[in-house]
Amino acid sequence: MTAQKISKERREAIRVQKMYDRIAANEKIMLQKKQRRENAKAARALGVKKNAKSEWHNKVARICSLIGFFLVWQGVCMLNSNGAFFNPTFLPSPADVVMTGYKYIQDGTLWVQIWSSMYRTLLGFALGVVVALILGILTTSFQTMDNIISPILNMIGPIPVFAFLPMFIIWFGIGEQSKIILIAYATFLPLMTYTVDGINNTSPVLIRSAKSLGANQFQIFTKVIMKSALPNVFVGMKVSLALTFSALVVAEMMGASRGLGFMITNARNWFKVGDMFLAAALIGLEYTVFFSILTALEKLLFKWKRSGLSNAVET
Amino acid sequence: MAGVLLNHVTKTFETDTEPSGRKYVLKDLNLTIKDKEFICVLGKSGGGKSTLLNLVAGYLKPTSGEIIVNGKTVSGPSAERGVVFQEHALFPWYTVSQNIQFGLKIKKNKHAKEIADQYIHMIGLEGYENKYPASLSGGMAQRVGIARALANNPDLLLMDEPLGALDALTRENMRKELIRIWKQAGKTILFITHSVPEAVYLADRVILLKNGIIDMDLHIDLPRLRDPKSREFINYVTMLERGLAEKETDGILSE
Ligand SMILES: Nc1ncnc2c1ncn2[C@@H]1O[C@H](COP(=O)(O)OP(=O)(O)OP(=O)(O)O)[C@@H](O)[C@H]1O
Ligand SMILES: [Mg+2]
Repeated sequence: MTAQKISKERREAIRVQKMYDRIAANEKIMLQKKQRRENAKAARALGVKKNAKSEWHNKVARICSLIGFFLVWQGVCMLNSNGAFFNPTFLPSPADVVMTGYKYIQDGTLWVQIWSSMYRTLLGFALGVVVALILGILTTSFQTMDNIISPILNMIGPIPVFAFLPMFIIWFGIGEQSKIILIAYATFLPLMTYTVDGINNTSPVLIRSAKSLGANQFQIFTKVIMKSALPNVFVGMKVSLALTFSALVVAEMMGASRGLGFMITNARNWFKVGDMFLAAALIGLEYTVFFSILTALEKLLFKWKRSGLSNAVET
Repeated sequence: MAGVLLNHVTKTFETDTEPSGRKYVLKDLNLTIKDKEFICVLGKSGGGKSTLLNLVAGYLKPTSGEIIVNGKTVSGPSAERGVVFQEHALFPWYTVSQNIQFGLKIKKNKHAKEIADQYIHMIGLEGYENKYPASLSGGMAQRVGIARALANNPDLLLMDEPLGALDALTRENMRKELIRIWKQAGKTILFITHSVPEAVYLADRVILLKNGIIDMDLHIDLPRLRDPKSREFINYVTMLERGLAEKETDGILSE
């Protein structure tokens, strides 16, 4: 009887002991897991911090440089406010330029200038890109087209773009047309070279493999050649963009009644140096916006390029 | 059906290293590959193996002679002759899955996705479906290249050292898979390799290419799957290695 009872109690004790053991083991595993998670987190934080620190450092230095530039400029202007060194109208201070901008925003005239420049750039750039792509594709696809187009381009290519403006004005009038055509032409010339280069540099092995997978000429063009050339086209667009904007300013300086380039020539006539600075700054800003849009598009379209090696050597 | 016939095929390249100005890479080559035969080609580096494959694929034209596949003279590449390249040749702008689906999409195959998934499973790259080739290792990319060719289901498979960049274990698995697919789908395979044991393991017939001519054409009469440690296997390997060596005395350190 007692023996039975004892054994029962013991069994119970063993059961409980086992349960505790199990719980303890579980807890231990949980703890280990938690520890590992925390370790990983710490390591991640450390790594990120290390990287972020130097990156943050660089950023601060760059911003400080810009702030310093404007502070010095403002300081020089303030020291010179009574004309101690030179005539203050020659160099307006950053604050003056901002005030000028504010004034024109208030009376609503600034938007017209910005918009007309924007509109010309957009239209001219788009036209230039389309023509460059079409001619680039034609010359690389058909030898006859290459024979027809390339010599002509080689002949007129070296002539500086802006030399054509007076002719364009005579041919297409003083209005929007001649300006947009000049901008388009300036965009087209370098971009065409990049497009042709991109198409010609398509890896022959990729064309071979597409052929052996059953692709026809058109499919090879759309699925291989264009895909492979597109990054180069984007590089070309970014390079052309500088010329696009130069052409914009030149076109607007000759016979325009609106636009940021016009603002500069107009300011010269009235000796409003502040207006000149404002217009120049806005042209720079517009360029930056366009450039950033292209960069963002690139990032979106060419994910496949960034997934591999990013640096030649990690630092 | 995909028998291959090479009829007096010569291929020369223009070069300035030879006094004659042309280099004979293949000299008056005659070769018959039967339907559903597994052929391995061995030979020195620079011996013309890839050239032979490129001719059959239709990328190169023979200087003289003709190549007939499945009763038709080869005049250019086609989907019935699938190719796995020595350098993997994946489309960098397509993901692993899109690469494998390339040929199927062109054929407007409605099951492209499922077939691709099947092959991704076969090559052991689950989880990499949406990765781009730039983020794959050399061996992974090579496996995707093999899967891409297989998924297109060609009658004739031309493979140029497809297992070169793989580790021993993965290579072993891929060989077995290849044998399985070859048996099951009834394909004709022309397989180039540097490894003598690999050739003996895989092939019905091993061709030894030397100085532009077929130096040896050896039937491997062993039942599959073959045991590389068996006596007969080792005999075949020794025989081929002796043929591969320039002089009798040259020794080759095998795999
Ligand atoms: N397009 C070409 N122009 C000139 N010579 C070439 C060309 N292609 C190949 N060759 C020559 O033909 C020879 C055979 O080349 P091939 O690529 O067929 O060799 P391989 O046997 O595949 O070598 P490996 O095992 O190294 O891949 C080499 O000597 C090479 O220099
Ligand atoms: Mg080769």
